[in-house]
Amino acid sequence: MPDLLKRIGAPLTFGVLALLAVITMVSDRRSLAEGGRDLPWWQAVMLEIAVPIQDIVAAPVDGVRGLYHDYVSLLEVREQNDRLQVRIAELEEANLQYREALVASGHLQQIAAMRDEFEIPMLPSEVVGLDVKPWFRSVLVDRGAGHGVRAGNPVITAEGVVGLVTATSRHAAKTMLLLDRQSAIDGIVQRSRARGIVRGRGTDQLEFEFVVRGGDVVVGDVVITSGLGGVYPKGLRIGEVVEISDPAGGLLQTADLRPAVDFGRLEQVFLMMRRGPTMDLLYGDDGPIESASATSGRPSS
Amino acid sequence: MKRISTLLGLGVAAIVLQGALATVVSPPWCPDLALLVLVGIGLRWRGLARGLLLAALLGYSRDLLSGSLLGEHALLYLFTFTGTVVATRQLNLRGSWPLAGFAAGLTVFYGFGMLALTGFFVGGVDFRLNWLGAELVHAGVTGICAPAVSAVVGWASDWADDDPGRRSLGLDAIRRPA
Repeated sequence: MPDLLKRIGAPLTFGVLALLAVITMVSDRRSLAEGGRDLPWWQAVMLEIAVPIQDIVAAPVDGVRGLYHDYVSLLEVREQNDRLQVRIAELEEANLQYREALVASGHLQQIAAMRDEFEIPMLPSEVVGLDVKPWFRSVLVDRGAGHGVRAGNPVITAEGVVGLVTATSRHAAKTMLLLDRQSAIDGIVQRSRARGIVRGRGTDQLEFEFVVRGGDVVVGDVVITSGLGGVYPKGLRIGEVVEISDPAGGLLQTADLRPAVDFGRLEQVFLMMRRGPTMDLLYGDDGPIESASATSGRPSS
Repeated sequence: MKRISTLLGLGVAAIVLQGALATVVSPPWCPDLALLVLVGIGLRWRGLARGLLLAALLGYSRDLLSGSLLGEHALLYLFTFTGTVVATRQLNLRGSWPLAGFAAGLTVFYGFGMLALTGFFVGGVDFRLNWLGAELVHAGVTGICAPAVSAVVGWASDWADDDPGRRSLGLDAIRRPA
């Protein structure tokens, strides 16, 4: 009997562990399909260990990069400042005229109410870790459940949509990028309002699938979030159409999108602290997540 | 126990370090340090069953920091570890070049394994040649780093080995006196 156990010990261990891995994969796939999860403590430990260490490792390079960026920015800042002063004056003038027109039409009260609904608190966060394998597109950010972040919170930059938080620990959150093959969001072409689905390919480009009939899409069109998926708010920039495939006679056509966000240079992101209605349905009604450290409104930089 | 916990710690450190490195160095050019630590362990491990447990633990740790499904890296780690242990019995992987070549080959195998698993469980995988290019670069860089990482694993393994009789004597069976 001990001989038999010794002989089958390794294959048995392999079999049991492989079966366990397959079971966890299936379960995790189901959990991701439901929008993500808040990690149990024994899984969160790994993220908690990783974030401070990755912060320390990346700090010297970030410092040098920041110094260079600041220096280059400083060279342009005076000229840019003059230009922006003029622009602000122009916009203030235009804004005044619009407000006057709105007051005259009696719509100002309605718009003020809408603003309260759509202004979402944001939490700035640093990207501290990336996947080394090109097959997955996810990043680790240094804000977690302790800061009010929950699985299902959208992640953006000033340029556009970055992705979605899929798992959180106390001080870290795993974010699935738009580029990931598991990512799919509802988008519309800003110019023609043609609707479609934007999918990640696992490469540096996105795929926009739209209905050919009535779907007016041309190269250079900007695609934004439609807000229909119930995950992202409407109007966030997703990317720009760079190529449209030849229609193969089917109802659907696809276009290649260049993401609005430069994922190769992702350093700081903003976590939207309010989940979409779909995510709240999935997780139950725990109300909007507000954080004291969250900044209100869209990122200004 | 000391050996297992030391190697587990080393493996986790490699996973965390390579995640941080990837924010600085573009991912194809960033070596797969975690995989190299696993190969280094496989080269020296005796008793497959406990080694498999260690490999699975490292794989799950990696899954937690990666965008993969929980268990995806763990499953591939089981195959990689078993493959390394079997290869060590059949091939001479003591030199730098054979080890670098083996690690590079294993990295490509690992990439395709990942692609197959993701395709099966997630779907939507369309293989593109530029992926192969990126994977080959990644494999090359990983292969180059293999001897150094293996040496670190060997040192840690020797340091943590409770049984002094099993410690490496640094003898090279290939080199013979003139």
